[in-house]
Amino acid sequence: MPFRRLILLGSIFWLLLQPAAEVRAELVVVVNARSGVAAMTRNEVINIFFGRNRQFFNGLEAQPVDLADSHPDRRRFYSMLVGKDLSDINAYWSRQVFSGRMQPPPKVNSTEEVLKWLVSHPGGIGFVDLSKADARVRVVYELTP
Amino acid sequence: MMISMLVRWVAKATSRNKKLVVLAGAACLLAASPVFADSESGFSLNGFGTVGLARTTTDDVEFVRDISQPRGVSKDWSPRIDSVLGLQAAWRVTPQFEAVVQATSRYRFDKTFTPEISWAYLKYNPIPNLSLRAGRLGTEFFMMADSRWVGYSFLTVRPPGDYFWYLPFYSIHGADAAITVPFGESVFRAKAFYGHSRGSIPLADEQWDISGSPMVGGYLDYQYGAWQVRASYANIHFKRDLPIAPVLKKALGISLSSQDAAFLATQDTRTHYYSLGLVYDRGPWQAQLMLNHIDQGSNALESSDGGYALVGYRINQVTPYLGYSWVLSKSRGNAPSAIAAYVMQDSRSDQQTTFAGVRWDVVRNIALKAQWDGIRGDASSLFPYRQDNRARWDGRMDVYSLTMDFLF
Repeated sequence: MPFRRLILLGSIFWLLLQPAAEVRAELVVVVNARSGVAAMTRNEVINIFFGRNRQFFNGLEAQPVDLADSHPDRRRFYSMLVGKDLSDINAYWSRQVFSGRMQPPPKVNSTEEVLKWLVSHPGGIGFVDLSKADARVRVVYELTP
Repeated sequence: MMISMLVRWVAKATSRNKKLVVLAGAACLLAASPVFADSESGFSLNGFGTVGLARTTTDDVEFVRDISQPRGVSKDWSPRIDSVLGLQAAWRVTPQFEAVVQATSRYRFDKTFTPEISWAYLKYNPIPNLSLRAGRLGTEFFMMADSRWVGYSFLTVRPPGDYFWYLPFYSIHGADAAITVPFGESVFRAKAFYGHSRGSIPLADEQWDISGSPMVGGYLDYQYGAWQVRASYANIHFKRDLPIAPVLKKALGISLSSQDAAFLATQDTRTHYYSLGLVYDRGPWQAQLMLNHIDQGSNALESSDGGYALVGYRINQVTPYLGYSWVLSKSRGNAPSAIAAYVMQDSRSDQQTTFAGVRWDVVRNIALKAQWDGIRGDASSLFPYRQDNRARWDGRMDVYSLTMDFLF
């Protein structure tokens, strides 16, 4: 029957439109495993990554690390965290830099470098794909769209 | 060294051709972007700029960005009021110490684009949430006042005039301290500054030297998620009189009597600035509400209340916005003579502005903006303008502006 075939075709089309599981993989915020930080809220993560607060609750200096613009996780991170486009993030940091308040977190090119940063900085905090978070780091926040 | 060379080069070029230097410099530096940023050595070099064009619908007054500008724009398109080029070098000496120098070239009190060292300070963070700075510093009289020239950092073509016209102060020689106190998920921040002001404010063809006038101020700020609230206060103690006598002499051939001069004195008067700001910034939405009250100590200047509301919504790379601003000054009504009354009328403002525009983030680090301002005021509203023709000015005009903001 043409009607059933249409439904079938529609369903296949709908399934094709769904992003693949890999693309939808979860982003998580990770810290140095020895930082003493076990969990954070979304607002606490925002405060650290936007430089509003430079210390964790236990007084340890937060040392956030960001990814280069070319890395697709950066766009996803800020989109899920605050719903902002990268040019908004850029505008925010230009205000902080040129008003003399602060410099943005350093940027690295890959998830592996984020993990290296975290291991070498006691207050290191970054964001990686959940599948990349290993024993060297602790997941403190899971980003949900 | 690199910076001083660049600044010297810009200075040299500027003395030759004052208007084109902004454009030329911007083009050169853009081509070389990104200039330099090395997180390992802790040295970074960053720049910002705007190439802008603006015109109005009247020749009866000239429209300025703020009263630090001696001339403005009227019916002809002009790059004068919004074009700027800035360059910042920051050196993180140790994790606690940072040295910053920032130079800007913009249309200033002496009708040139002569580059200036706008900031030059040392910053010390004894603990991460405490920042101490000393040297030549930007002042945050009102929220965002210290990034007023970084067009890329905000939504509109320029900061709303009815709110910011009155703020010709850009930097002090002094010190400030800012402390951040996290409280649960929210963050409190307090800042205080003290210093001596720099520079001059133009008045007709004369200049009001405000250097050495002590300024003190501070703010309390609270941020929770997408919300930010700030209350701030500052005052300035003027050390010199406005150049009223030479302006009157030149413009009208009138001599200012000593009684009027004493009545209109600004020397040893104090002006107080109060402001309250509320910002919402999340997802595609951006909204701001700002209110201020300025209490002028001198009879020559009218106290005023002003404010603005602004809302923008991002659709992909395009953000349309809509805003409304207003300012109303309070007449003193105590002029001892007709001449004093004439001078006092010059600080009058009574107007409302509706503005609408669009910001388009074309590529990374470049934003194009187009804006319309519909200024609807009383004919007595003269303070924000230059070269006013009091007999013809009716208080109403439209302003059209186009800008390209960039970072490098």
